[in-house]
Amino acid sequence: MATTTSTLSLTSPDLTGDALALSVSKICYKGGTTVGLDQSTGLTRAYLTATTSIDIFPVVKGTTNAAETGKVYIANLSEDETEFLIVSLANSVIGRLYAGDFLWMPWTPQAQHLSDIEIVPSVATGMVVEYMAVHNFANIYPTSADS
Amino acid sequence: MATINAAITLSSDITSSATGFTKTMTMTKAGTTTGLEFSSGLISRKYTSTTEVDLVVSGAQLYGTPTATTNANKLYIKNTGSSSTDYVTIGIGTATQTQEIDDNTSNNHIGRLYGGDWLLIPFHGVATNGDITIQPSTAEVTTVEWMLFFE
Repeated sequence: MATTTSTLSLTSPDLTGDALALSVSKICYKGGTTVGLDQSTGLTRAYLTATTSIDIFPVVKGTTNAAETGKVYIANLSEDETEFLIVSLANSVIGRLYAGDFLWMPWTPQAQHLSDIEIVPSVATGMVVEYMAVHNFANIYPTSADS
Repeated sequence: MATINAAITLSSDITSSATGFTKTMTMTKAGTTTGLEFSSGLISRKYTSTTEVDLVVSGAQLYGTPTATTNANKLYIKNTGSSSTDYVTIGIGTATQTQEIDDNTSNNHIGRLYGGDWLLIPFHGVATNGDITIQPSTAEVTTVEWMLFFE
């Protein structure tokens, strides 16, 4: 089986009176098992030049993967602190990733249009983003169709 | 201002050539290089029901004034359990609403956190439907930790 490990470190010397130092690490398993996720979209690096919404991870039609659990990574590689990505689950806004920000989250693609992961750049002057999904889904991006 | 750093490291042998990367970020206020100032603290909650409830509630006076269009808040959540079969479903919206596609008044499930799983996402926090919801898969005791960093 494949082994994908995600590790997070959160630190701050001055957020509170005591320094913050939190670390967590976890192997990414298929839902309900201890079998590692075995598919990946690869780490995509894209240069976006429009402020239109795009589905970076659309969902295959139906509920094929409705009980599965993948992992999603998205990063805004802009170096301009005013530039951001709006990240949404369909039209439910999760939040903004400003320059240098990243996210890591589970993703259970329940249905087309309900669970599509979308991003909208704040500028059309060019923004570099990275994104990747680790999963065990059938027919996920880039072979699935969305509309 | 405070200096809050986050780093993710991913290592994998899914592909024939092992892959991995590390990405770091310093949490700043929206559109600035000034660090986020506030935190909920690391909160631990136990759940003993499969009822979907709000985990992080947005709204005035709770985590600062809601500035849904401009904030750069960050939210960390971890299922501290060790089960590979029990999980919590994390959603965005309002727990009392049914899942809808995108009517901006319901909720939408993001995904599942099994034992040991974690997430770090931006927290939109819009007052009307920006709550983060949680629904355990079991009525057995499920413990979740979370921490919000906000402007």
